[in-house]
Amino acid sequence: MLYLFMAPFAISTALFGIWPIAESIRVAFTESYSALSSDPRYVGFDNFRAVLSARAFHDSLWRTLLYTALAVPINVVSALGLALLLSHPVLKHGRTAFKLAIFVPAICPETASYIVLKSMFNQNYGVVNHALLGLGLPAFGGLTTPGSAFATLLAIETWNHVGLYALIFLTNFQLLDKSIEEAAAIDGASRWQSLVNVVIPQLRPAIAVTSIYALIEFLKTFSVIYIVSRGGPNFSTSFVSHLAWMKFSSAQYGEATAIATILFVVVFVASGGAYLYARRSDHR
Amino acid sequence: MKPRITACLVYCLACAIALAFLYPFIWMVTSSFRTQEAILSTPLRLWPETFDLSGFEALGRIGGVPLRDYAVNSIVITGLATALGVCITGLGAYALHRNPRLPLFSIIRYGFLIKVMYPNMLLVIPLYFVAHKLGLLGTMLGIVLVISTVPLVFFLFVEFFRSIPVEMIEAARIDGASEWQILMRIILPLARPVVLTGILISFLLTWKQWFPIMVLSIGPETHTLPIALVSLNSEFGVNFQAIMALAALTVLPVLLLFLLTQWRVMDGFMVGGVKG
Repeated sequence: MLYLFMAPFAISTALFGIWPIAESIRVAFTESYSALSSDPRYVGFDNFRAVLSARAFHDSLWRTLLYTALAVPINVVSALGLALLLSHPVLKHGRTAFKLAIFVPAICPETASYIVLKSMFNQNYGVVNHALLGLGLPAFGGLTTPGSAFATLLAIETWNHVGLYALIFLTNFQLLDKSIEEAAAIDGASRWQSLVNVVIPQLRPAIAVTSIYALIEFLKTFSVIYIVSRGGPNFSTSFVSHLAWMKFSSAQYGEATAIATILFVVVFVASGGAYLYARRSDHR
Repeated sequence: MKPRITACLVYCLACAIALAFLYPFIWMVTSSFRTQEAILSTPLRLWPETFDLSGFEALGRIGGVPLRDYAVNSIVITGLATALGVCITGLGAYALHRNPRLPLFSIIRYGFLIKVMYPNMLLVIPLYFVAHKLGLLGTMLGIVLVISTVPLVFFLFVEFFRSIPVEMIEAARIDGASEWQILMRIILPLARPVVLTGILISFLLTWKQWFPIMVLSIGPETHTLPIALVSLNSEFGVNFQAIMALAALTVLPVLLLFLLTQWRVMDGFMVGGVKG
């Protein structure tokens, strides 16, 4: 009977999880134009070799890693800051409303919110530059220059994700052992001291889990590129997943799936490594 | 006096942050009622000077398909995928919980975890091949099947089943209840709140889906509102006001649903998310 309960889940996981992943790895070893035919031609590691020797791939890989290296700490630290602010004892009224406000981006369709944010960074009618110029500040390049496009994507994605991370920290705050904090207060610790020496160390597992989660999310960054920047200007925001998609759109299935496989290995190794590191430092 | 200053500062900061998170939505709604010329001359405005509906009227057809069809697709695909997905993941998580040591069960669990970890945008590429082989490309059924299982809902169920005392199920078994009876008479009544939360979260997250639906579609006949928005956005010579109007139409139903069910949804995200 339990097998019967399991059957739909097993079939769904097999058909739309395991099979496509296996298929992706198989296609990575075939010649693109024969990949979907009944008689595919296998070419060994040729696709991987072609991808790994291409300049475009190196650039996109470094861009993705740089982006992730910036995005994870920015998101985790801002989420912690937000959680601390929203858990402040004086904030008795309206705490719920503030929580709702920071969580709304996480449940809204990102096609809509990304398009709205993209328009806000527009040079002609965007509010960002309008506000900056109004305050007498220099205009922000938005999506028109490579560096500012990179920063714009980072800002947009942080806006989208940080609320969820902040709520995870807020939930963990409520699970903390309040007595240690009270003891520290009795011993004359300031709020800052108790934060650094009492609260943060207790939160370490939550910080580790959130960082790993964010790491996986940002390595996979795609939607924001597709909707907001399309990889431009001058490929400055063409990340690994976007490169794979470009290959797929031009029917270079072999190379597209080779890139997908490489990215999967990167995600797997990075998150596995981070997990092991977090666990080891927990046992210290 | 000093605590009052702190309180004031904390409130001001919290309000500023809340505004930063909500402002894009305010701007979206305001801009959808303002003419293109008005937006160009003064982008910053909290309230539209006129309620100009031409943006909404311009949305009659997108890519040759009436707007109504996109809305119907959104509702049908999201509704079916939610119903199916909650049943599949609920039963699967239940079976896994009851006896994780059955042959194949751990393989299924690991298979699912690998699927969750695989970059989902890149899973869509081989999913296209698989849908092609199964003859599901461009069909509503294929889209619904592919997007139905939401990992967060699976983890939500896993956490819930962990909270049910084993003794309860054991007692029922000793009394001679079949697996089916245990599920229907004991588990299901207890699971009602978690099923409701699962349905809500699944609905909200499936409504957002756009990339797999776009790739698995052959034409706009199976596109949903978020995809209509992407196509409108990539058209040449865009009508900015119409884009904001469509964005508002895409966001407002789920925003409303979320605001009405906020506690359930946020708690569900925390239970499913903190563990998963």
